[in-house]
Parts: sequence; structure tokens; C-alpha cells
Amino acid sequence: MAGALSSLKIVEVGEMVSAPYCSKLLADMGADVIKIERPGAGDRSRTRGPFPGDKSNPETSGLFLYLNTNKRGVTLDITQPDGFEIFEKLVASADILIHNVTPPDMDRIGLSYDRMHRVNPKLIMTSILPFGLTGPYRNYRAEDLTIWCAGGVCVLNGGGPEHPELPPLKTAGQQAGYQGGVHGATATIAAAFAQLRDGLGQHVEVSVQESITSMLEMTFEYWPYMKMIATRLGQKPLQPVETMECKDGYIYLCCIEEHQWRAFVEIMGNPEWADEEIFKDRLVRAVNWDVLKVLLQEWVGQQTVLDLYRKAQAKRVPFAPVSTMGDLLNSEHLKARGFFVEIAQPVAGTHKYPGAPLKFERTPWQIRRPAPTLGQHNVEVFGQQLGISESRLSELKRKGVI
Amino acid sequence: MAKPPPLSGIRVCDFTWVWAGPYCTLQLAHLGAEVIRIETKTRPCVTRMLPPWPDGKFDSIDKSGYFNQYNQGKKSLSLNFKHPEARDAAWRLIKQSDIVINNFASGVIEKMGFGYEAVKKANPKVIMISLSGYGDTGPYSKYVAYGPAQVPLSGLSALTGYKGFPPMHAGFSYADPNAGVHGAFALICALFHRAKTGEGQYIDMSQWECAMDLLAEGILEYTMNDREPERVGNRDPHMAPHGIFKCLDLSEKILDVTIDQWVSIVCADDAEWERLARAIGKPGLPTDARFKNLAARKQNEDALEAIITEWTSQRRVADVVTELQNAGVAAGACADSKYISEDPHLTERDYFVYREHPAVGKRQHCGMPWRMSETVCEVKAAAPVLGQHTDEVLTGLLGYSKAEVEKMRADGALD
Repeated sequence: MAGALSSLKIVEVGEMVSAPYCSKLLADMGADVIKIERPGAGDRSRTRGPFPGDKSNPETSGLFLYLNTNKRGVTLDITQPDGFEIFEKLVASADILIHNVTPPDMDRIGLSYDRMHRVNPKLIMTSILPFGLTGPYRNYRAEDLTIWCAGGVCVLNGGGPEHPELPPLKTAGQQAGYQGGVHGATATIAAAFAQLRDGLGQHVEVSVQESITSMLEMTFEYWPYMKMIATRLGQKPLQPVETMECKDGYIYLCCIEEHQWRAFVEIMGNPEWADEEIFKDRLVRAVNWDVLKVLLQEWVGQQTVLDLYRKAQAKRVPFAPVSTMGDLLNSEHLKARGFFVEIAQPVAGTHKYPGAPLKFERTPWQIRRPAPTLGQHNVEVFGQQLGISESRLSELKRKGVI
Repeated sequence: MAKPPPLSGIRVCDFTWVWAGPYCTLQLAHLGAEVIRIETKTRPCVTRMLPPWPDGKFDSIDKSGYFNQYNQGKKSLSLNFKHPEARDAAWRLIKQSDIVINNFASGVIEKMGFGYEAVKKANPKVIMISLSGYGDTGPYSKYVAYGPAQVPLSGLSALTGYKGFPPMHAGFSYADPNAGVHGAFALICALFHRAKTGEGQYIDMSQWECAMDLLAEGILEYTMNDREPERVGNRDPHMAPHGIFKCLDLSEKILDVTIDQWVSIVCADDAEWERLARAIGKPGLPTDARFKNLAARKQNEDALEAIITEWTSQRRVADVVTELQNAGVAAGACADSKYISEDPHLTERDYFVYREHPAVGKRQHCGMPWRMSETVCEVKAAAPVLGQHTDEVLTGLLGYSKAEVEKMRADGALD
């Protein structure tokens, strides 16, 4: 069976996470993606790792290999006029261009929607940018941490009332990039769907900061509705919703509804203290969390994670283990669903990677090829597809264009 | 001439509730779909009963800022499925919908009688998605999942935390919106396929799996090197400084509470560090051998962070950001809700949405993160009060007479 997007041709000029994750989502659904990298160094994610055996090698970086599955890769310096000309040829026959070239660099190399539109009036051009293409921060420098903070989620996480001196805490990984990527992919495929109807190309501009501010749960509205500020400090509104240590690891206690708390009390063997007035509902349990925490820790500390998890779930209480990576790889549930996929790549070898985010009945998520080595498809794309002669290719190579 | 938004003419029968599902259908509404949420007064959406409320008072299920944020531009149809007439109305809606969506635990929608097999029989071209916590198959498929617990389950907590401290959370139910937006992406892929082939299909989503797609670096550390990654707080192995630094507290107290303020600062390479060092202006800092390259800065990161903190802690966060950005350093506010609400950048970009709402008036809400040049997307209306569109949908789209609707109401089928 073919993927849902097997008719789409995409060109990507992406670094690190946001644009590469966007086009990975589309590629894994069947789209043909040509990824353009800088000659020599390539995508910065090639330097990030993790590397098998901790040996740094641009062909074995785990982050790059994950984010670029199913893509063909070419090297091309689009900051040189010769390179830009070839780039325009690629764009001329594509349905979609996805990039995260920053606005100052767009200005510098002359990458704009107007210009791309002249090359290919039916093109959808998706620009995924830290702060968007307009507004006073358009030229601001940004790494992933910058945007995760500027989007307003980082302030919500951290040491809590017990450790006000500890800074707000970033969530592990390149989360701003992933969210820019998936929000961008949603807008991009919607534009491609509209193109089936209208036959028109257009510019899709995505702000990573706004992708994050779109996900602030109820916390943003505290200001317009109540003139309150939610931060990592301050007491939680209800309890228990906390991580706690078991004999063999950590579990997340989660009693949001009263019936869940009553079931948990039963699992604990109905200790006498549970009848105390100071624990009678979820709100007062939050107020008296200092006391409750000690009592719970005493009991939870004698349990094993899996046993407590299963007992809680048997009573429809949504506890969850604080999964380690090993827990995930060894999970009987994830094994039964076949979540992790083995991907063989010539230099890095064969490893297990995170797999499909969703299972489609008719149009499968598939790994058709591993991430490309640097410039792997130069001959195939520049020579066979664009018809550039061998002598011209070696000239371009000498000039450092490819 | 602007064209209609991309999903104009697409109808969504929305059985979702809480956050993951509503975040998914919010994306569809943003893109122009007609989203009709099925609700019931007998068990309103959890978020209708959660704060914030105007003046902090919970006196109505129509006033929650939480609900009102994630249900903008949708319609609300109130149906009580204890009544067969209400179930008939849902079936009429399913037959006229392009998409049917729920985010219950796996198996629940089947028990309600609206499982995929039945839905497909009524509407062969339908696209249906279930955004369950654990997915439709596997030994834990019937397990219950609440937003906050999905973050530790996914593995994100084990990777997140201060060095030497226990695992930490993300600070919000991150797996929910992540599942919602991936679900919206998947649905539009399925619409694309249907437009080409005429085929509908079913999509099985596990919120857990969707979240694991965000932590490839941690998972690959384990599968490539057989090692659990250590928690390193805000630091980064390839960049230093890479952290969040204290600024002056907010000058005014908010409800008698002092609000601390922080700034993120990252130097990706030696040149960026030199620019930061010059901006800090401490004599000798740009040439200090302890910080001359990445390896040196990583080795002396405690001292490095102390010097930066000494400088930032005397300044307002907005001033630090402006000064460092002008100097060419990646600095950004660790923004809280007030900061975002007043952010001149987001304001100039018209990011915020103000729509008249029957119960709370015009409030500031977050809008959408994309702009399309041709198929312009707009938030059509504020979130609905419960049952706001019941009559409109029943008599318009679903073909009931006014008398029939009155009888349904009298019978309690619209509660």
C-alpha cells in the first residue's frame, strides 16, 4: 500500500529540528522529500548525536538519522548564485518548499515567497521561523531554549515551592523545534489539500513561538480572566498529582477525580489517617500536601512500580510509571504494538528508533529508506533528475557549490 | 482574492473532551472546518469546570477561560444519549460528517454505540480517529490516561530535571496538545488521500507513542549506547552558556505575591560568547582563558553561570533581551502569562483573538501559529456556551422540525 502523500514532491532547506521534523512527518506518509544541506558540514543536527560508541561522526548522529528518514539528500550552497539557480530548478518541479532559513539569512540570500512564486506559481512555501516573518523580533537570534522560554511553557516547570531558588526548567530535548515542525506540517498539508481544490500556490508562515503559546493549557488565560500569573511556584490546585519514589523506580500518582482517590486509599489497605478531615477532598489534600506527602511516601516507598501501576489501573486510576528509556524499549505493550522500528543505515549500523505516531488503516506510515549520507543523492538528483552534465557538476564541485 | 480557508466545507462530528481531543478539533476549526461538538449538561466537559473564571468565581459552566481557549470557532450541540432521540440525532450528524473523532480510552466509543464499524456502515467515506492514551491494541489498551500522567509515562520526565535531582515534569500536560496536533495532521493527510481516491479510513492514535516521537535523542542514547541519559537541567553538551538566569523581580506584586523573572541565554559558538562577554562589560571577560572555547566553558560552567547571573540579576528581563539581541546573542524572556499578554511582538503580529462571548464578553485569547497568504484562516467566533447551537444544528443541518425539537427538549433528550 502507498502512503497518503505519495504524490507530493517536497524540497527541504532545514537545519536542526523544526523544518526537518515537518518534512519527516510528510515523508513518512509517503511524500518524496529532497533535503538540501550545506556542502561540507551539512545539517547542524549531524553534530548533535547521540553517536554509536560516542564517536562523533556526521553520518551517525542519532538526532539527524531520526529526523531525516525517507528523504533523499543533496549538498548545495544556495548562498552562491550558481547554487541558487539549481535550487530554483528543484523548486520549479516541486509541490512544496519547507525551510527554516532565518529571516536575516532569507534577506541575505534573496529567498522570498515572491521570488519562489515567480519560479513556480503553484508552489506552497512553508517558512517555519522562531518568531515569524514579521514583527519587532523577526530578526532575533534563537536556539531551541530561547523559544521554549519565549513561548511561555518553561516558566511553568521547575523546583516548585520547595526550591524557589532553582530556575525554571526546560523540558528535555528540542521541544520547540518539534512543535514548530508538527504545527507547520499541519498547516502545510492543509494548504496542499486546498491546492487540490483551488490549484493555487501560497505562502504558509509558521511562528514557533506562537506554536508554543498555543499550548499553554489554562495558564495563559489566568491573566486576561483573573489577573493572576501561573508559575512553577505556588501550591498545586489539587493533590495527589506528583512523582513519588517506589522501591525500584518512580511512579506518577494521579488522583484527579475523588473516586480515584478513594480507589487509591483502598489499594493502600484503608489506612486510618485517610479518614482525617485534612484529606477529605482534593482541594484540602492540596493545602495539606506537606503532611500527606510524608504519609504517602512511607507506603509508596515499599511498593514496586509495575505492581502499583497495575493495581491502580485495575481500579481505573490513571497512575503511570516514570518510564526510563529501558522501560520503553522493554515494554510488553509497545512491543505488542510494534512501536519501535529497526532502521539500518550503512555507516551507523542498525538501531531501534521511535516509530509511527499514528496507525492508518489504509495508508501506512512507512520507513522506505534511512536518512541520507551527506550528498548521497547528488548524482541522482542533479544529474538524472535535472540533467546537469557531468563536466558542469565537477565544475560546481570545484567551486564548492555542491 | 482570498480563497476560503483550507478545510472550508469539511464537517467534523466531535465527541472529544478535556484537552487532547479539543486541541485537535481546534486546529481543524482554525483551518476552516465546521466543528460540531457533542456535549451534555449531564456531564459537561471537565474543562468547563476548571479555572480561570472572571473574578475567580465559579458560577457557570460557560465562563472557563480554559474551555474558551480550546473551543474557539466550534459549535456546541447538547445531546443526552440516555434518550434514543438524541442517539438518532447523533447518527444524522455522523451521516453528514467528513470526520468523526473521539479521545476516550480505547473501546469506550464502541460501548457508546458509535464504533468505527457502525459509523462506516452509516457513512462509508468517513474518516474516523481515536486519540486514546494507549492505542487500540496491546495489553494496556484499556488503561486510563490523564494528561499529567502521560508526560512521565512517555519517558520525558526521566530525561528532564536538575542534575542530581529526581525526574521532573514538563509543567503542563504536554502530551495532550502534542497528540491533538499530530491527530489534526493525520486527519488532513487522510482527507488528502480521500480527495484522490474516494476512500475513507480509520486512524488509531496512542498519545503515549506520539509523545515518544519527541524524545529520539534519549531513546537513541539507549538503543545506540545501552545507557540511560543523565538529567542536566537547562544545560546542553554542545553549547555554553545554555541556561536560564535570574533577573529583577516584577516591580509590582501580583495579588501580594512577588513574581520572579528569568531570561534564557544561549551561546552557540565562541563568537557568540565573545559578543555576550562584551555586552556584560566585565573587564577581561572576553579574553578570560577559562571561557575561551566550548570545552573550557563546559569545564567552568558554574563560574560562567555565576558571572552571567551577577549581570542579569541587576536588570529587568525585557532590557536584558533587548540589549543582548542587539549585541547578537540568543536571549529570550522566560515569559509568563502577563509578559505574553503584553508582548509587543505578538500584538503587532495580530496573534491574539478577541471575540464577543455571551457569558464573558471580549477576552484576550491565543490565536493560531500560522498565516496563509491565499486561504486566509480566521477564528470564526468565541467558544460556544453549552448547547448554543443545538436548535440551529437540529433544525438546519439535521432536518428536524421546530415541533420535533421542542418534543426532544421536553423529553430531556437535549440536556
